[in-house]
Amino acid sequence: MGNRQDLNRLLEVANLELAYETVQVVWGVNLKVSRGQVVSIIGPNGAGKTTTLKALAGLIPVRKGRIIFDGQDVTSEPAHLRVRHHLCLVPEGRQLWARMTVEENLLMGAFSPPLRAKAHQNLNRIYELFPQLKERSKQACGTLSGGEQQMCAIGRGFMAEPLLLILDEPSLGLAPILVEQVFQMISRIAAEGVTILLAAQNANQALQVAQYGYVMEAGRVALEGVSDELRASDHVRRAYLGVSN
Amino acid sequence: MSAVDLLNLVIAALLLAGVYAAMSVGMTIVYGVMKIVNLAHAGFLMLGAYFVYELYARFSIDPLVGVVLAFPVFFFIGLAVHWILIRRIPSSDQPTLTSLLLLFGLWLVLQNLGYLIWGNADRAILTPRTLYVLQIGPISFPAVRLIVFGAAVASIGGLELVLHKTWFGGAVRALMQNSDAGRIVGVNVEKTARIAFGVGIAFAGAAGGLLAMLYSFSPDFGGSFLLRAFVIIVLGGLESFAGVAIGALILALAETFSILVLPASYQPAIAFSLLVLALVVLPEGVAGLWNKRHRLA
Ligand SMILES: Nc1ncnc2c1ncn2[C@@H]1O[C@H](COP(=O)(O)OP(=O)(O)OP(=O)(O)O)[C@@H](O)[C@H]1O
Ligand SMILES: [Mg+2]
Repeated sequence: MGNRQDLNRLLEVANLELAYETVQVVWGVNLKVSRGQVVSIIGPNGAGKTTTLKALAGLIPVRKGRIIFDGQDVTSEPAHLRVRHHLCLVPEGRQLWARMTVEENLLMGAFSPPLRAKAHQNLNRIYELFPQLKERSKQACGTLSGGEQQMCAIGRGFMAEPLLLILDEPSLGLAPILVEQVFQMISRIAAEGVTILLAAQNANQALQVAQYGYVMEAGRVALEGVSDELRASDHVRRAYLGVSN
Repeated sequence: MSAVDLLNLVIAALLLAGVYAAMSVGMTIVYGVMKIVNLAHAGFLMLGAYFVYELYARFSIDPLVGVVLAFPVFFFIGLAVHWILIRRIPSSDQPTLTSLLLLFGLWLVLQNLGYLIWGNADRAILTPRTLYVLQIGPISFPAVRLIVFGAAVASIGGLELVLHKTWFGGAVRALMQNSDAGRIVGVNVEKTARIAFGVGIAFAGAAGGLLAMLYSFSPDFGGSFLLRAFVIIVLGGLESFAGVAIGALILALAETFSILVLPASYQPAIAFSLLVLALVVLPEGVAGLWNKRHRLA
C-alpha cells in the first residue's frame, strides 16, 4: 500500500458489521472508493446495500469495523455532522419533504452552517445543470413525478458540495426513459469531479456508469472488481445481467 | 334569528378561533417534531394563566404585557423540562405509552403544584377594559376578545414567519415530515427538538395568559382546553399549521352556534363529539383531504 494510493482514497470501509436490534444483516464488508471514481454496489433484494449506505451516512450505528472518509475516522460521528465532510447520501425512496417546495428542499441541502453562505450560489448552479428543477422550483415536492423527485433528491445532495455523493437506488420505480435521464444526470455530476458511490439492483446501468463494482449478497461482498471484468464474469452475467449461456 | 345576530355569532366564533389556534399550535409543533402528545400542555396553560395573573395582581403589569413576558419565561421552562424529562423518552416515530404516561404524570404534578400554591378558589383577571364593548353599527365587539384575538393572530403569524423564513424553521418543518432526511442534511435532531419543545411550552404559557383574560380559572384550568386543543389538532391533521387554524375555526363555530340549539352546559360535549367524528371520518384531519392527492410516490 503506497502512500500515493492512500492520498487518493476518499472512502475506506473496513470489516463493517451492522445490525437492526439483534438481527445482524451486514457481515464484515470492505469497500474502497478512490477520488473521482464512480463505484457501484449491486446485489439482490435484502443484500444489505441500503443498510451499508445508511451506516456511511450515520443513520445506523456501526457495531464493528471502521469508516475512514477523506483521511478521518468518522465511524462514530453523528449523522448531522457528516455532511460537514461533504459526505452526502441521496437515500432510497428519495425521502424528500413532500409539503415543502422544490426550492425549499434544495436549500435545506445546505442546512449545515458552513454551507449556508453559498446556498444560493449553489442553488443557481443546480438550476443551470438541471433546468427542469428550476421550472418546478415553487411546486410542492409531493406533486412532482417520480423522475423529477429523484432529480430533486440528487440536487439536494449536490447542495452540500459533495466530495462523495452516495446514491441509493436512484432509478427505483422509474420508467425506462427516466432511468436513462437519471443516469445521464449521474454522469454529468461525475463529470463535475464528484466521486460517486451508487447502489442499484439494475446491474447493467450501474456497472456501465461505474469504473469499479462490488457485488453484495446476503450481507457480504461476494465479488468485486473493475466493472468491465465484473460484467464479463459468469456469476454476474448469469445472476444480474440475465444472460444464460 | 336576524342577520345581525348571525353576524354577531360568526364574529364571536372567529374571535374565539384565534385563541383556540394559539393554544393548539404549541401541541402541534411538539407533536410534529417529536411525535409526543403533550398532555402536560394543560398544566402549562394553567401556569401561564397564573403567571399573568400574579404579574397583574402583584406588580400591576398589564395582562397583555404579561402574555408577552410569558413567551421567554415559558420558553426557558420548556427547555428545562426537556432537559430534565423529555430527552429521556426513547425516540420513536409514533407516540409511545411511555411518553403519554410521563406527560400525564407531569400534568398531575403541575396541577397539584397549582393547588398547593393557589388553593382551589377561582380567580379572574379583571381590568378596566374587561367589560368594555366596542359598538360598530349593530355589531358589538367585546374589547378584550378583540385584543386576545389580535395577540393570538400576531403570535401565530410570528411563528409562521419563523417557520418559513429561518433555517431553524426549515429544520422544524423538515423533522415534522421526515426526520432521517433532516439528519442527512445536517439537522441536529435533539437540539431542534429541545428548542421546538421550548417554543411549544412558550405558546402554552402565553395562550394560558390569553385564556385567563377571557375566563376565570383554577388549578384544574386547562383540562377542558386540552380536550379542545386535542380536537383541533386532530381536525388539523396533527402536524399542519394551516390545519390548526381551520380546526380551531370549526370547533369555535360549532361551539358558538351550539348555544342556539343546546343548553350551555352541554357545550363540552361538542368538542367530544367532534373528536369522535374527526377520528372516524377524517383520520388524517382536514389537511389530509388535500395531502392525499399529493402523496409522495
Ligand atoms: N428497519 C429494519 N429493521 C429490521 N430489519 C431490516 C430493516 N431494514 C432492513 N432490514 C433487513 O436488513 C436486510 C438488508 O436490507 P437492505 O435494505 O439493506 O437491503 P438492500 O440490499 O438495500 O435491498 P433492496 O435492493 O431491496 O433495497 C434485509 O434482510 C432486511 O429485511
Ligand atoms: Mg436498498
